[in-house]
Amino acid sequence: MNRAAMNIIRFVGLVIAQILLVNHIRLGGYVHPYIYLIFVMMLPLNTQGWQLLVAGFSIGIVIDLFMGTLGMHAGATTLMAFCRPAIIRIVSGSQKLEMNREPSIDHVGFAWFLRYTICMVIVHNFTYFMLEGFSFHLVGQALLRILISVPVSVFLIIVMMYLFSSNKKKGKD
Amino acid sequence: MYNLFRFIQKHHFVILFLVLEALCVWLMTLTQGYHRQKRINTTNDIVGSVYETGTHLGDYFRLSKINRELAEENALLRQQLTVTFDTTKGYQQVVSPDTVYNFIPARVINSTVNRPNNYILIDKGSADGIAKDMGVVSTNGIVGIVADVSQHYASVMSLLHSYSTISVRFKNDEEQIATLRWENTNYRYGLVDGIPTHLRPRPGDTIVTSSYSYIFPENLMAGTVVELIKSPSGTLNQAKVKYATNFATLTNVYVIQHTDLAAIDSLLQLQQVQ
Repeated sequence: MNRAAMNIIRFVGLVIAQILLVNHIRLGGYVHPYIYLIFVMMLPLNTQGWQLLVAGFSIGIVIDLFMGTLGMHAGATTLMAFCRPAIIRIVSGSQKLEMNREPSIDHVGFAWFLRYTICMVIVHNFTYFMLEGFSFHLVGQALLRILISVPVSVFLIIVMMYLFSSNKKKGKD
Repeated sequence: MYNLFRFIQKHHFVILFLVLEALCVWLMTLTQGYHRQKRINTTNDIVGSVYETGTHLGDYFRLSKINRELAEENALLRQQLTVTFDTTKGYQQVVSPDTVYNFIPARVINSTVNRPNNYILIDKGSADGIAKDMGVVSTNGIVGIVADVSQHYASVMSLLHSYSTISVRFKNDEEQIATLRWENTNYRYGLVDGIPTHLRPRPGDTIVTSSYSYIFPENLMAGTVVELIKSPSGTLNQAKVKYATNFATLTNVYVIQHTDLAAIDSLLQLQQVQ
């Protein structure tokens, strides 16, 4: 499939999945899993810096519109997109990757992808909950939310990736 | 000038990042503060219709639960009917005869409970007669206050909001009023402030809305006391309260329309001018 079309479908699909399904996960009120980050995470490895930033900002602002948190998700995803090249460099180490492909699990391997997901989710959640906490003067609460939400987000993203990758193989073969 | 372009070209990644982040911070400052929060229109019809479609899809999986809730509510209303029209005591009116309240039924299409400021989106808007500052109740108890309306949707500031303060009193004490607010932790529990030391609320005591507000009629269920928190300075105590409404499973609500609200508002404004 055309890469641009693929990304548009992924954008819409992830926004809908986030606001209509994942936002209803509210165990005890502290868990906030965010799976829409997959959109920024799965852009091809050689994506230009400005494209990453624009992609991060746009999905963040759409989520903000739906959740009534104008600026908070956008701020967090933009920072995450900004950190992505550095995170990829750190996570890769000496591992060589094909730069024109997406960092999917079957391309980069499970261990790489898990480290990558954890780093990206931590950057996003830390920024988001701190923005939310500062604007409401509740930093202690924010730290608790980060501690609980990061593992759940990472788990959900990995699960989503397995669903995605099996679908894509069927499409290609 | 050329050097400037070179600089921008060289550092465009960092510059674009800073510009976008500055934009985000600016957007965030727009929505801070109670009045500004209300002015920003987050209840637009596109967002509402996406949530409504999602709710309709979800309804197929919740039909039995919704049915059960409606049946329970029917039973409760029938019970009240016999109280209201008790022939031995004559006619009893539920609210005071001077004020008239309309109850507009609405459906919750999106809600949050896990943010510092929580809102509930409902499927009725200005076209159905809903306006800002109207009270919202569920069968179990009070829910919140309408913060923002679009034509077909309204956004309700739930009790789980840092600006939410409701005037309440204990059901067994007609006189003393106190304030119910949210302590930003658990969506099942709130906090009642300003309880004088001579009052000794016990766990299980009922808290209802007071008559000091024209948003909610008097005597609507708000919650029950869980424990009394003694003030260290010995002045005004607090009490932890379990909300009567479970905000996580809210589906059907009623918006309270006060038919004399316009008159009250103009009186209040007159008072301010003087």
